[in-house]
This record gives sequence, C-alpha cells and structure tokens, in this order.
Amino acid sequence: MAPMEVDRADGRTSNQLRPLSCTRNVLHRAHGSARWSQGDTIVLAAVFGPKAGTKKEENPEKASIEVIWKPKTGLIGKVEKEYEMILKRTLQSVCLLTIHPNTTTSVIVQVVGDDGALLPCAINASCAALADAGIPLKYLAVAICCGLTGSRSVILDPTKIEEKKILAFAYLVFPNSPISVLPKGSLTEDSEPIEAGIITSVTHGAMPVVDYFNCLDRGYAACAKISEFLRRSMESQAPSDLTKTT
Amino acid sequence: MEQRLANTWQMTVNERKFIEMALAADLRVDDRGPFDYRPCTITFGRHVFLSPPFHSSLIYLCAGGSSEVQLGETRVMSYVTSQLVQPYRDRPNEGTLSIFTEFSPMADPAFEAGRPGEFAIELGRIVDRGLRESGAVDMESLCVVVGKLVWSIRVDLHILDNGGNLIDAANIAALASLLTFRRPECTLGGDDNHELIIHDIEDREPLPLIIHHLPVAVTFAVFGEGNIMVIDPSYKEESVMGGRMTITMNSNGDICAVQKAGIGISSSVIIRCLEICAVKAAEITSKINHAMESFNDGRSIQYPNFHPVDVAIQDNLPDVIMDKKQIENLIGHLAALPLDALDRNSNKSGAVVVGTNTRAKFENNQARDGVPFYSPSNWDPYPRKLCSRLARSSLKLSGLPEDVEEDKVNTTQSVTVECGLEHTKGASSSRALETPSEYTTVEATSQYIKAPKTLKDAVKIQNRKMRK
Repeated sequence: MAPMEVDRADGRTSNQLRPLSCTRNVLHRAHGSARWSQGDTIVLAAVFGPKAGTKKEENPEKASIEVIWKPKTGLIGKVEKEYEMILKRTLQSVCLLTIHPNTTTSVIVQVVGDDGALLPCAINASCAALADAGIPLKYLAVAICCGLTGSRSVILDPTKIEEKKILAFAYLVFPNSPISVLPKGSLTEDSEPIEAGIITSVTHGAMPVVDYFNCLDRGYAACAKISEFLRRSMESQAPSDLTKTT
Repeated sequence: MEQRLANTWQMTVNERKFIEMALAADLRVDDRGPFDYRPCTITFGRHVFLSPPFHSSLIYLCAGGSSEVQLGETRVMSYVTSQLVQPYRDRPNEGTLSIFTEFSPMADPAFEAGRPGEFAIELGRIVDRGLRESGAVDMESLCVVVGKLVWSIRVDLHILDNGGNLIDAANIAALASLLTFRRPECTLGGDDNHELIIHDIEDREPLPLIIHHLPVAVTFAVFGEGNIMVIDPSYKEESVMGGRMTITMNSNGDICAVQKAGIGISSSVIIRCLEICAVKAAEITSKINHAMESFNDGRSIQYPNFHPVDVAIQDNLPDVIMDKKQIENLIGHLAALPLDALDRNSNKSGAVVVGTNTRAKFENNQARDGVPFYSPSNWDPYPRKLCSRLARSSLKLSGLPEDVEEDKVNTTQSVTVECGLEHTKGASSSRALETPSEYTTVEATSQYIKAPKTLKDAVKIQNRKMRK
C-alpha cells in the first residue's frame, strides 16, 4: 500500500532518522567505551573484560556476558532488568563466545538522555564499545525502532512524545552488512543475504502481521544506512588507538 | 571472591616507590605543580520537557539540570530532579535536598553494582554537608503549602570514570547542575485560593533554585610523614597516599565542611592548606560562573521567547535533520577533524569548553512580557521567609546587581566561547529554527489539585483534573 506522509512534530518525514553521533574511547579506565546518540537519546556504554571466571549458572565452556543497566535517576526496577536481559541475549549472539571460555565480559550501560528509542540506542552503543575493547565479534548488531501510527504507516526512530501517541512500535536488531572479498551471494542462508536476518525483535502494542512485515522492511533498509555510518565512523577513528595513552 | 580481587588493578612496588621519591623531590608524575588542578571541563545536558498529559503519576517530575564534569581523567555526571512531597514534621516550611551517589562499575572494575561501598557513602556525605548543611541552597523558597507540600530536590551523581579526586569533581558537577536546574512554578489560586496550580512550562517560565553561595571542595593528599601535600591527586597518587583531607569552602572564605582521614598532619600545615584552599575555591567558582554565563547566554539567544529546552552543548551533536547525503557529509567532517577535538582531552588549556559559538549580549536576556530573565546575577541572595506569590514578586523587584561571589563576570560584554568542533558552527544557527517546532503541538495545560485531602493523597495524588 502506498506510504502516507505523516506529520511529525520535529518536521522529519516518516523515513528520516534523527542525527546520529558515535564517539568511541571516551573513558580512560574502561577497556572499551562508546557514546552513541540519536537526537536527544544519549547512551554511554563501557566494556570490561574478559575477566576470569563465570557465574554459577553460566556455561563455563563459553564466554559469558554480564550487562549492567544504569538508569539516569532512581533505583533499578523491572524495566531495567528487562533491558539487561534483552541486551545480554543480543550481545551473546553477536560475540564469538568460544574463543575465551570461562570468562566474563561486563558491559555497563549508562543512560545519559532518554527521548525515545532507548533500547536500540543502547544496543548500538554496546556494540561500538565492544568493538572498541577488541572483543571478538561475528558482526556488529545495528538496532532501530519502527513505530506504527494509527493510519498504518511506519515511522522510523520515534521520539518519546511520538512513542506515546502511536499504536505500536518494534525494536529491531539486524547484523551489519559485511564487506567481504567473497563474491556477492555466497554469504547467504537460504538465498537471503546474511544481513537480513533478525537478531532481536521486541514489540510493544498490537500490530497486524502485514504491518509488522512493513516495519521489518523499513527497519532493514534503515539499518543498512546506520551500519554504513557505523563502519565509517570506526574507520575514521581507528588511528587514535596508536596515540592512546595509558 | 578471589577472582574479583585478581581482576582489580594493583599498584606495583616500583611505581609506588617512584611516585613517593618524586614527591619528596617536589615533582609530580604528570608534570603538574603540587597545587595545580588538572584541566576542568563543564558541559551541560539537554532535556526534553514532557507536557503533563504524558505523566503517568501525579508526582510532577520536572526534568532539567544535568551537567557533566571532566577533571583530567575523572568524569562525573550529575542530574537534578524535583517532586512535590510532604515535608518533614519538624520542618514544615522547608523543602528537602537529597544527594544520591552511584559508583557505576564503568568507572573502575573494583566498584561493584548494587550496594554502595564506604567511599561512595563518604563522598555522598561530603557533598551533602557542603551543599545542604551550609545553607547553600535555599530551602524555604521550596515550600508551597506549609506543612503539606514542598519541593524535594534530588541530585543523582553518577561516577563514570575514576581518574582520582572524585570528591572535587562530584561537587562541581552537583553545583553546575543545581545552578542550571529549573522547576515549574506553582501558585495557590482557583476559586477559594485553596487550589494548587502547577503551571505548565509553556505558561510560565520555570524558576531556578535560589543558591546563596557556591561551596567548592578542594582535596589534598598527604604523603611522607604528613609534610608533603598535593592538590587534586590522580588515581595513582591516591593509591600511594597516606591520608586525605577535603576542605569545602566558598569564595567568601567561609569553611563549609572539612573531612580528614589517614595519617596525622600538624596544625601549621592545615592552616597553610586553608589558605591555599581559599585561592583554589575562588578559581573554581569563577570557572563555574563562566560556564554558567556562557550557558545562559546561549540559552537566551537561541530561544528568545524562552523555550524550556536547555541548550545542547555537547560537541558531537549537529542538530540538523540528516538524510543519507548529510550523513555522509557529517562522517566526512568527523574524519577530517583532528583527533583530540573529539570528546575527551579536547581542551588542555584548562578553560571551560562550550560547544556553541554564539555571541551574546545581556539585553537579549529580557524574556517576553518584560519579565527579566532569571540569570544568576539577578537572584536575591538573602530572601526573607515569604509565601510563594510574594517571593516571586520580590524576585522581580529586587534584581540585586551584586553577586555573593567575589569575581563577577561583566555580562554586558559580548561573550565569545571556544568551540571544540568547527562544523557545529554551521549547524548551531539552524538549531534555533528546528527545536521550537518540536513543541508547537504540545498543549498547554495546568493541573488543579483540590485541598483539603488526606495525608496519603498529599504524598501521592491519584486523580487529578486537567483543564485545557
């Protein structure tokens, strides 16, 4: 169905993202750190690890990931625990866990600003921090929030005000597009490119199945753009590792 | 438990001996003088105000007042919120101020999430004594209805990076965020003057807190036999030091708090430290004021009709709507920049870095309706005990020209501020156009809460009527 143009409060079209910004290596004590912002939603992620030993309930034959979510104000409640769990599962599928068995990598996420799409922003920040720390990864996870308005059109990256008004929204996480020397089409699973696979999908609110697939298509296209941005920002900052002081 | 200890950083004997011997020869490892602070950068955060229909509970949360301080390698973030609560029974006409410290595990692998350790509690107490018990923040102006409703201010300090001397950095962050915090105005009105109206941010300007003086903490580390003192210890110096003394002083020379632990220091050394502290406190106070001036001027320039969004003074946030081409341009800019313009260590000279390049004049601070804009130099430092309506009118009338602080910055001069990143210059002009449109669709409403009610309702009001 033809996409309808939606009037958004800050003047964006339904396909426009807020300005993205990624800075890595912001903290001195942490092994890896990144600050990711999408408009006014700003998240600071830090990575320590791998440290020796795993917790009792974790599998010692693989590396384990521990996520600590720090909200801006107030005590840690159920919402924060849920975010920790989702983030942990997402990062577990992104990291190569068999390289360092019986170790724990800690990811600490601090919310600096919250204006909608907080969990995708945190996932993006954590992946950038993991890359900054040098933890071996299969690919990076790129996350986006897609909202479904009452007129059944999909808007990308809603702000907090928009999130309260729309019918339903979904947080979608895709792997980032790989650059490889192998011919195009060889990195596929069942004739689908590898970056079309969904790592995580969290939905809020009820949406029809057709609209969910619309969200997936839009989200996948947007994530391709975000992963381009991520790759370029990492390449441009790579020389800084040589001048890093202890 | 042993695994945790194995993961923490231990100071080697060689490093310890080196630092001690260097200090005995009056040298510091990072090439500072013994009484030099590391470069300090204060940045302010940006917040979104939500209009009342989107609050789920009736405890009115007002966002605003966030600051991030970088002192050398140490980074602390502070966030201030307020809510209406019932006052303590023995102080029915005073608001409350509480400080919460979060030692985030990202600052140091030795910090554990969950229960705060003893140093976290000590830091919270030192900042609390300096701010609250010295009377820096005026509590009586936070009273709304005597005995029933007062404003409770909550300061959350998040330690993000432990590079040593957390107390000083946390204190500066708390001060900076309290100075930029704005709370909504509420008055008694309605039919019989018994209804409490919390004015929406669109209706009336939110009010700043009344801060009488700025208590600044200066930390000394003691080495040797109690005769070698240095200011602002770094992380390695802290693990070698024999003791620590923190003096909280304001620029008038009044001592607000003293905290000392560790090996004994003779009283003559303490007197000398007090004299040094007076000088340092004045320096830091002027730095904070300078940052505040730039921030407030930036705020009034970009929002001449006073919009409630604080100005973003973060370096890496160009405020334009970006499509694919612009994303590419931005990445091109980021790649072309010198590396140390990006985030940390962006300012080695010790001045305060603010990411906007606006030239501000004091006349532009006049908001609409001729009500003077409440920049820090307009605050009445000694308010008498007044009810809220009288307090507001007295603030309008007084407009005292002199500050409590000694070195007042002449605000009628135009202010030029350093800009860490070149490319935000082009973007900042578009900022004024973009953001006001965010709030055109927000409706202006105010809430009416009917008194009298039971005590339970005063604390957590369940139902409220909203009227357009």
